[in-house]
Amino acid sequence: MSDRILGCLAIAGAAAMAAAAWGYAAPVEYEPVGPRAFPLLLALVMASCGAWLALRPAQHADWPQGNRLGRITICAGAIVVYALLFQLLGFILATVLMALPAGRVFGGTWRQCIAGGIGLGIVLYLMFDKVLDVVLPLGILHWN
Amino acid sequence: METLSHLATGFGVALQPVNLLVAALGAFLGTVVGLLPGLGPINGVAILMPLAFALKLPPETALILLAATYIGCEYGGRISSILLNVPGDAGAIMTAIDGYPMARKGLGGVALSISAWSSFVGSIVATIGIAIAAPILAKWALAFGPAEYFALMIFSFACIAGLIADQPVKAVLATVIGLALSTVGVDANSGVYRFTFDSVHLGDGIQFIVVVIGLFSVSEILLMLEHAVHGPSAIPDTGRSMFNLKEMAQTWWGTVRASLVGFVVGVLPGAGATVASAMSYSMEKRLTDKEGTFGTGDIRGVAAPEAANNASANGSFVPMLTLGVPGSSTTAVMMGALTLYNITPGPALFDQEPRLVWGLIASMFVGNLILLVMNIPLAGVFTRMLKVPNWALVPGILAVSAVGVYGVHATTFDLVLMAVFGIAGYLLRKCDVPMAPLILGFVLGGIVEQNLRRALSITNGETGILWESPISIGLWLAAAAIVAGPPVYRSVRRRHQSLSESRERQDALLQGE
Repeated sequence: MSDRILGCLAIAGAAAMAAAAWGYAAPVEYEPVGPRAFPLLLALVMASCGAWLALRPAQHADWPQGNRLGRITICAGAIVVYALLFQLLGFILATVLMALPAGRVFGGTWRQCIAGGIGLGIVLYLMFDKVLDVVLPLGILHWN
Repeated sequence: METLSHLATGFGVALQPVNLLVAALGAFLGTVVGLLPGLGPINGVAILMPLAFALKLPPETALILLAATYIGCEYGGRISSILLNVPGDAGAIMTAIDGYPMARKGLGGVALSISAWSSFVGSIVATIGIAIAAPILAKWALAFGPAEYFALMIFSFACIAGLIADQPVKAVLATVIGLALSTVGVDANSGVYRFTFDSVHLGDGIQFIVVVIGLFSVSEILLMLEHAVHGPSAIPDTGRSMFNLKEMAQTWWGTVRASLVGFVVGVLPGAGATVASAMSYSMEKRLTDKEGTFGTGDIRGVAAPEAANNASANGSFVPMLTLGVPGSSTTAVMMGALTLYNITPGPALFDQEPRLVWGLIASMFVGNLILLVMNIPLAGVFTRMLKVPNWALVPGILAVSAVGVYGVHATTFDLVLMAVFGIAGYLLRKCDVPMAPLILGFVLGGIVEQNLRRALSITNGETGILWESPISIGLWLAAAAIVAGPPVYRSVRRRHQSLSESRERQDALLQGE
């Protein structure tokens, strides 16, 4: 079933690619192959792969269930939220906020995860921003 | 002779204090990343690459750091294989077969030191191989025109699809996804914006770092959650830490043989350390295992796959440096790192950037020496690292990855894209879509399209040029053989097997009568 869905998604993706690429044309044509050909070729190959998978699916993938699925969803959510808040909250606060759920799903206790997150945030901030000169956002901790 | 003078220049670069320091740092970090189960060389390189760029290291220093990390990972992978029976990366799977029984017998220290030694021999043999073979191959590759290049890229995609994947269709799909991602952004030839959807952030394409970190580091973390969360396991007492001369003599020829096999396998695009170590293990078993001790803690079964694994990791630099076609997904990432510096690996690299190429080769000699020296006395320190709990490790990896991605453009957009690639990568990997062809497609996408268009410009759109010269014909045939070979071989063998099985059944029936 997973293979059939993957195949259908590939066909849909290929169709969307082809539709978007159809209009690409160079303002001045000076070579026989323009910007449109390669994406269209890729869309064709992608659609054929998709069709193959949809028609001849192999063994079904073993998707996580129940508890495990919950943990993966929490972790994925934490990563997305981390990405969104990284600049806004600043590196240190965002890292503490991320380390809590990400540490919890990997078996840390509340206390360990909070302490770990604060430690990570501060140590990495000092190391990158102050020592290694990679500028990181301070976000709302920025006081002046 | 020319090679020696180039090597001297190379050592001049590699022995500069900064580069020595960076090589030692890379070697250490690589060993740590390699020994942590679940994290392999590609994660180590993927995490360090953006940092090297953000730290504004010069290209040769950055490359030395990444190469030392890569090789360090191959050293590190064996530690958890031997002590915990959990391979730190895919190349170290074979090492566990005899390494873990050795550790159970109280010979863990011997297994660790002999495998460090054989890793060293393997790497040095392969590095000598690079110094000899690469300039010759580069000279030969200068004769390649756009049509030959296009055929070469197709050949390397075929290698990856045919050799590593059980399901070639999914490998092809992965390659095409990678190629498609590479077309995002402004088209250099015509100035047309493709697949940018009027977003400023996509104008100059998808950042390589974002793709690599997302597909490899983030998705790896989600995959790690699937395996049961296990606490720190008991590490057996390692006993005597140094191998003796008898053990060295016992493993010597096997190590040399495995190093040569590993180098050759590493040079082939697509086949990597995993194939090399499996090949050399079964070869050693066939050649020397007269008493049937392989699998029960035979020291020769530890030395051989480790030598092969390291030799192939080093060997995979040859196609990257000479042809601009990476031999493994890790060298694909390194090639991406070079393009961040506007350096395009390929045959011209040896003429244009001799300091970079020979500095890298010399630093591989130096890096391996550092790793050998580091790995024997520090085995205890590395062993203790196995006890870092995941609840601290995972947020650390995520934070460092995010810093790396943020360091390039300082935009939230890139971070979100990283998260999206991470989740998409997880889903694709769950569907058995391999990531190596995807990253190879993404790295080579621009070059593939450019060469195709250039070739067709020569003939004004006539496609015959793509299979005109003997070199391209040879490459196309080789590509076809690699894709079609394994399935045909498998079906022939299956028929053969069922044939002999039915014959056995007949025999049994006859005897029964």
